[in-house]
Amino acid sequence: MTLTAPDIEKPRTETAHRPRRGMGDTARAYLLNAPAMIVIGLLVAYPIGYSFWLSLHRYNLKLPALERFVWFQNYISLIGDPAFLSSLRVTVAFVVVVLVLTVVLGTALALVLNETFLGRGVLRSLVLLPWAMPGVVNGLMWRTIFDAKTGALNGLLLQLGLIDSYQAWLTSPTGAFFITAFAQVWNTLPFTVIILLAGLSTIPSEQYDAAKVDRAGVVQRFTQVTLPWLLHPLLIVLILETMNAFRAFDTIYVLTGGGPGDATNVIAVLNVRTVLTYTDFGLGSAYSWVITIVTLVISIGYISTLYQRGRIEV
Amino acid sequence: MNPSFSRRRVLQLGALTASLPAIGSVLAACGGGGGNSSGAVKFSGWDYESALVQGNVDRFVQLNPDVPVEYTPITSAQYVQKTVAEFTAGGGPDALYVYDDSLAGWVAAEYLQPLDGLPGVDEVYAGIYPSNAEAMTVDGKRYGLPYYTDSQCLIYNEAILAKAGISAPPTTLDELEQQSQRIKDAGILEFPIGLTAQLQDTWWAWVWGLVFASGGDMFDAAGNAVMDGADPTARDVFAWLHRAATVSRVIDPAVLQLLPVPLDDAMKNERYAFTVGARYALRDYNDPSRSKTAGNLKIAYIPSLDGNVVGTVSNTRMYALSKDSEVQDKAFRLLTYLGGFTDGQPYTAKYWFQKKGLGFPFRALEQDPEVQTTLATFADPTIYSGLASLARPRTAIKQAWYSEYENEQQKTVQQLLSNQTSPDDAVKALSATVTSLKQKYS
Repeated sequence: MTLTAPDIEKPRTETAHRPRRGMGDTARAYLLNAPAMIVIGLLVAYPIGYSFWLSLHRYNLKLPALERFVWFQNYISLIGDPAFLSSLRVTVAFVVVVLVLTVVLGTALALVLNETFLGRGVLRSLVLLPWAMPGVVNGLMWRTIFDAKTGALNGLLLQLGLIDSYQAWLTSPTGAFFITAFAQVWNTLPFTVIILLAGLSTIPSEQYDAAKVDRAGVVQRFTQVTLPWLLHPLLIVLILETMNAFRAFDTIYVLTGGGPGDATNVIAVLNVRTVLTYTDFGLGSAYSWVITIVTLVISIGYISTLYQRGRIEV
Repeated sequence: MNPSFSRRRVLQLGALTASLPAIGSVLAACGGGGGNSSGAVKFSGWDYESALVQGNVDRFVQLNPDVPVEYTPITSAQYVQKTVAEFTAGGGPDALYVYDDSLAGWVAAEYLQPLDGLPGVDEVYAGIYPSNAEAMTVDGKRYGLPYYTDSQCLIYNEAILAKAGISAPPTTLDELEQQSQRIKDAGILEFPIGLTAQLQDTWWAWVWGLVFASGGDMFDAAGNAVMDGADPTARDVFAWLHRAATVSRVIDPAVLQLLPVPLDDAMKNERYAFTVGARYALRDYNDPSRSKTAGNLKIAYIPSLDGNVVGTVSNTRMYALSKDSEVQDKAFRLLTYLGGFTDGQPYTAKYWFQKKGLGFPFRALEQDPEVQTTLATFADPTIYSGLASLARPRTAIKQAWYSEYENEQQKTVQQLLSNQTSPDDAVKALSATVTSLKQKYS
């Protein structure tokens, strides 16, 4: 049976006219949502709030006698903290490289996969595979591939005659940095492709037809038709991938442990090491909140920029 | 459907609300906050030969049926982090392994209890090497019974040296570089020296071994940094490392990725002529069933800057007792079995030596005929004992900030090996790290 609009509206009208019996809709909604809110409060809000509370303390397990509330001293100390500043520099560079690679490669792949060709379904499935891989496994896989002694890449390049002997790819600072960035991109690229593919599928084909009638070339069609339609999904990609890259830990930890030296010592690696190896929960929590705040600021920046251009509804 | 509330629904929600404290208890238990209701001794350690550990624990339980033991091996790369997390959550083990470099921090964090006054502890400390006793003592209190100890040494492949026309191992670092160059020039190996230099705690004792072998130190007795001023040894050793890795290139650049097991495999497959490592590795390296070059891998003193044999570094791993253990007596009986004497014999220490060649902290075992016989199958007993008598623990190990310093030192040495810093800058950076850590911990 097909419902007509009045059929759908009818119960709502009845409800509106029903005499109130003690509890209003708002109160009922709160009551119904209360269990979920309590669970969220217990599992999400409490740890987050507690970590902020910890970040306002001098709280190192090795110094129990010196534990005390220090207001924002942990945050202020970061200004002159060479370890933090060094890791921040590495993290910013890492985020930029990962974002550029992700957006460029993701857009290119999405455009290819949006075309109709034989085997598109298989290729789409294959592209999704890396996303299913946990970060630790991803790190282990790339470490095996880039291993200086037994790595598959060395074997391949040697067979092809492109190198004379096995190379220690992960032992130069530049090599290690770009390989970790590449491993991160490989892991998260499928998500970008999915989002952009969804965006591409919403573009009306008439727009391309009109552009062709106007004799727009491939580049013009991309910049004048495709890109404006993709701004919204690109915003989502930028926000989520910025967060992912800022928090990147497992792949890097497994691949290089933050080395050589400080070359890949991103803030998340420093954070985990500070909390779990050095047991400095106060400073470590401050690191976590800096990651959160920086990510938040960048996300607001993305949204407000696009909002000002009238491309997004808030 | 009528969206209004039924009485049954309100009762269901009421019951859910009332059950929240119970849910909270379940969550707390999941977090490890529960007590030890089974009465078993919770015993955890890193996962080195966990099957052998389990076998030995089973033997203890057979001898002591009133002391059930729940043994949990934890992957060594995560051992410190996981144990800290367990103690923080309130559900730590009763008895556990402790690294000597973690001890001071864990004592300060109040995870462990001193063993002074407990039965048999004095006898154990009287029977072990002073360096091991020192490593297990913090602020005059004894916190551990020894699991094993070992000293760093030079391990070389005699057959590879012979192929290059070298008749004796090097005694100076320059000789080590020259011999390596000779092996390299002869086309035998591209990189004759292998080390473990991936960022990871506990496997970097070789840096200390090189400095101690040359008679120097990173710190003075008061724990002040001397590496950039009063004592030039560390800088000179760093200069050698830098040169050997980046100029003569006799140290394999891949060492920055190398973990202990792959290094062992490389040594057993003649991929390196030299390494600096623990003495007990020789047992495995010279086992014909596991090594392609068994019998060719020899032990030597670590080469020094001037050729004089001065020292080396020792590691001490120990068994300790949790401060909040609810089964303290039982846990201590397990500790005594593992790290003390059973019927007048250090049973477990000898067990480990016989099974895996692990260094023993008990002086009496040096005279044990069975030990001597086994030792002779894989190492020169004279050099083996000589290293033990020269060995000493890392100087700043008793500082609560030691683990942070060690991590910085490892990063700095990685920077040297990958040509990201100079020896002068390296010692300056380490000295600055010490100053900053002292401030942070004051």
